[in-house]
Amino acid sequence: MSGSTSLYVDKPTIFHRLTARSKLALLVGVLTTAYVFGNPVVVAVPLVALFVALVYAGGWRNVKRLSFVIVAVFLVGFVLWPAFTPPGDTVVFRTPWFAVTTYELLFALGRSERIVAFILGGLLFITTTSNEEIVTGLRSLGLPYAFCFAVGTALRLFPTFLGATGTVRQAQAARGHEVSGANPIERFRAYIPLIVPVFMTAVRSVQTQAMALEARGFDPRRDRTFYDKPTFGTVDWAVVVVGLVLVVGSVWLSFQGYGQV
Amino acid sequence: MREAFTMWRDTRMIMLVAVVAAVYAAILVPFKAFQIIPGFVSVRPANVFPVIFGLMFGPAAAWGSAIGNLIGDIFGGTLSPGSIFGFVGNFFYAMVGYKLWGSLGPLSSGNEPDFRSNTGTQLAEYVVIAAVASALTASTIAWGLDTLGLAPFPAISISIGVNNFLTSAILGPILLFLLWGRVKDLGLLYPDVMRSEDLPDVGTSRTQLAAYGFLVVAFVWIAVGTFVAPPGSTFQLVLGAVGLVLAFALAAVSGERLSSIVS
Repeated sequence: MSGSTSLYVDKPTIFHRLTARSKLALLVGVLTTAYVFGNPVVVAVPLVALFVALVYAGGWRNVKRLSFVIVAVFLVGFVLWPAFTPPGDTVVFRTPWFAVTTYELLFALGRSERIVAFILGGLLFITTTSNEEIVTGLRSLGLPYAFCFAVGTALRLFPTFLGATGTVRQAQAARGHEVSGANPIERFRAYIPLIVPVFMTAVRSVQTQAMALEARGFDPRRDRTFYDKPTFGTVDWAVVVVGLVLVVGSVWLSFQGYGQV
Repeated sequence: MREAFTMWRDTRMIMLVAVVAAVYAAILVPFKAFQIIPGFVSVRPANVFPVIFGLMFGPAAAWGSAIGNLIGDIFGGTLSPGSIFGFVGNFFYAMVGYKLWGSLGPLSSGNEPDFRSNTGTQLAEYVVIAAVASALTASTIAWGLDTLGLAPFPAISISIGVNNFLTSAILGPILLFLLWGRVKDLGLLYPDVMRSEDLPDVGTSRTQLAAYGFLVVAFVWIAVGTFVAPPGSTFQLVLGAVGLVLAFALAAVSGERLSSIVS
């Protein structure tokens, strides 16, 4: 895996030691709390928890790398939602074109925090789970082996094709084809001629790879073993219970009317 | 939809899933920086691939596009519960291509999509398919994001729908013209790879009915969801649930005609 594409950070933290299944269970629990409540103060709790966990797990580099997307997602949600929300009573500020009420402001803030919490949750999972663990986790969730194999192969091939795009780009540039520049439309147009060679390079490999697999006895209908199959230990069970408690507790509290705008 | 499951018996189809996913993701990720609605909609020249891959690789492209979009979310840093709807939406995006080609009655050209002969009618058929695929994908994703409270349906449906349609409608015919013959020569078109008994054996009238069903569901869902149903409302929720169930039901009952057209 190319270091430039992977967001996985190899670090001996408690999150890294958990299996993919228990990490998913914990994430479902935390993200449910971000989903069922609307009050920005309440939604801030799972948001801050995820941020702290992410920094602890070594994901600060990833946060910085994606800071543009995270900030933009927050701001876009904050601007979009008041336009699609029923107005409340108290006007916070008024312009000649529109007025913003307290309800709209709190609603939009809660929704924006929720989006960021979801993205940080995904980032925490990717930061602490390698590609191999993702594939093993999918299999342990009961997904068919052939599907898991396809996902694993795609994850392995993706950086190769990304690299092939770079190689083709350099080859075309050597022939005078300009693909850099500040104008995004020009860059977009310049990338089009790169698509055909990248695609044909990829497709040509299908026949040979399929033959190589079958020569090694690959059979999608047969079960198979994994070299590094993580055991589901006591800590994993405890984490699953925490996730379950978070789901049940937050849903119950929200039905009781807590944490809403 | 039988073929979407029977294809997993064939090693070459499984490799096609992986390659389609990897190529789709490899073209998606470099453009993640060009955001239209940050975090949700970006400039995606890769959007041309699901429809043309769907025509070339059939069910392998449907799974490959779904997985490729997920990989794009993972490496682009936008993995979230909304990615589940991105998975389903991109599955439909590629599936609609091979389900509808040749099944649209008077709108169908009757040729394989090589854009070498009968180009005008092929173009018309392709544009209809690109529009249906884009609308169905946009509705699925926008409904999911609206249900999760991440973004309002109208904002997302229009931007994804227009973005997907323009890219696939403009670039698709050019790429099919360039690629169809080459892929066919490699023997990798799905009718050449899959055994005939693994493809759905469905009558022409049912295939045609299902194709028009897709057309109606896609356009009604996106129009009502965008212009009538308020975002986050129960109406929006029910509309999307009905739309999604109908889309899966149509996929289940429909066949495909492309394999009988490919010579």
